[in-house]
Amino acid sequence: MVLSLLAAFAPTLATAQTEAVEKPVPILSGSAGYFNFVTAGQNLIDTQFNPVLLLPLGERWLVESRGAFEGQFQRPPGGGPYGGPVNKTLDYLQADFIANPYVTITAGRFLTPFGIFNERLYPIWIRSLQPDPLTLPIGTADSDGAMVRGGFPVSSGANMNYAVYASVASVGTTGLESERHAGGRLGFFFPGPRLEVGGSFEKFLQGDRTNAFGFHMGWQPAKVPLNLRAEFARSFQGSGYWVEGAYRLSQAHRWQKQLRRTEVVARAQQFFSGSVGPDQAQALNLPSADAREGDFGVNYFVKDGLKAVASYGRQFGPAGNFNQWTVGIAYRFLIPLGRTGAP
Amino acid sequence: MKNTFKVLLCVLVLTLTGAASGPAGRKDNAEPPIVHNADADTMRVQGEQSFRANCGRCHAAPQKFPPRVMATVVRHMRVRATITDEDMRLVLFYMTQ
Repeated sequence: MVLSLLAAFAPTLATAQTEAVEKPVPILSGSAGYFNFVTAGQNLIDTQFNPVLLLPLGERWLVESRGAFEGQFQRPPGGGPYGGPVNKTLDYLQADFIANPYVTITAGRFLTPFGIFNERLYPIWIRSLQPDPLTLPIGTADSDGAMVRGGFPVSSGANMNYAVYASVASVGTTGLESERHAGGRLGFFFPGPRLEVGGSFEKFLQGDRTNAFGFHMGWQPAKVPLNLRAEFARSFQGSGYWVEGAYRLSQAHRWQKQLRRTEVVARAQQFFSGSVGPDQAQALNLPSADAREGDFGVNYFVKDGLKAVASYGRQFGPAGNFNQWTVGIAYRFLIPLGRTGAP
Repeated sequence: MKNTFKVLLCVLVLTLTGAASGPAGRKDNAEPPIVHNADADTMRVQGEQSFRANCGRCHAAPQKFPPRVMATVVRHMRVRATITDEDMRLVLFYMTQ
């Protein structure tokens, strides 16, 4: 039956389009970073190396993978030299088949498309503030399975994008954790006002078989170098939202050389505890109690792919309030693994 | 889990069916388009608009890379950011000029 269906749609696949006028070349890209997180007076040295391998095959295939090597070093409570674990994880290893302008089929290990932060804003060279949003763990456990996704115009002023996925493997191996779930995301992007809105849904297919859902938005007004984003997520583990604005000082009249490379950021967020206990919440990297947090930061883009970051945040909770300072540097690299042709 | 697979298969079939009813007369990419100067200027302007609207949603503008590198990057971003086929072509044209 499946073969007959594929045969029936073969003409569609044959007329499908891909982008390559130029033959794409394999790429090793990714990011590296060094950060100091001072949380409630405790200093954490965080070093990261996140290689991304992109391997295009033919005109319709792409194999892509991202690994994460993260060292987190702290002084022990009684004092002494810095020490700590170096975590190694495989974020994704997926094969993408661009079937036609509307459909891309993905199989393997992939980032769960719940909201926009996990898939698009997570890399350290992209994110505006280095600390994760409090709600990031909701709905974003890694997926091992298959996904269908795409984006296409639905009118002259609106594009629709979608993703439908199922994670079939519940893996507990360190560095390769995933869970059994299925879900989808639907979004609309309006290129005129540069406004994006969407929603996500996920059904857990293990444990209590509960649901999670969320909404996201992004807005980049054309006349102001402002990037406004927000997400809301709700699940049995907890719920919450974050709102973030990043403003590039490219319109400043004084000290243009320095200020046009500078970005100021602010984020407000709130988390509400769910139906899991404090220990389980902490195991999921969620706050163990209700929390509110405000963050302010400055990013300085030294050159393409290299930025220095600094931020201050304060979290408010029933167990007490604390500060979180961050300073560091993030670098994005890109190395072609073959002949690149004319520059 | 069988139900999940059935749902996924149905979605796949439906989306392929939708694609089959879409614009089917477009040329395959095996034939690079012939771009005249006026067309090239228009595509460059549209490409910059698409670049700012789509890529600028997440990150600052990177430098331009060689065409074969950009072809890979754009294919990656097409999947990651679910940008449309048309926007992808315009961005690739703009970033390789």
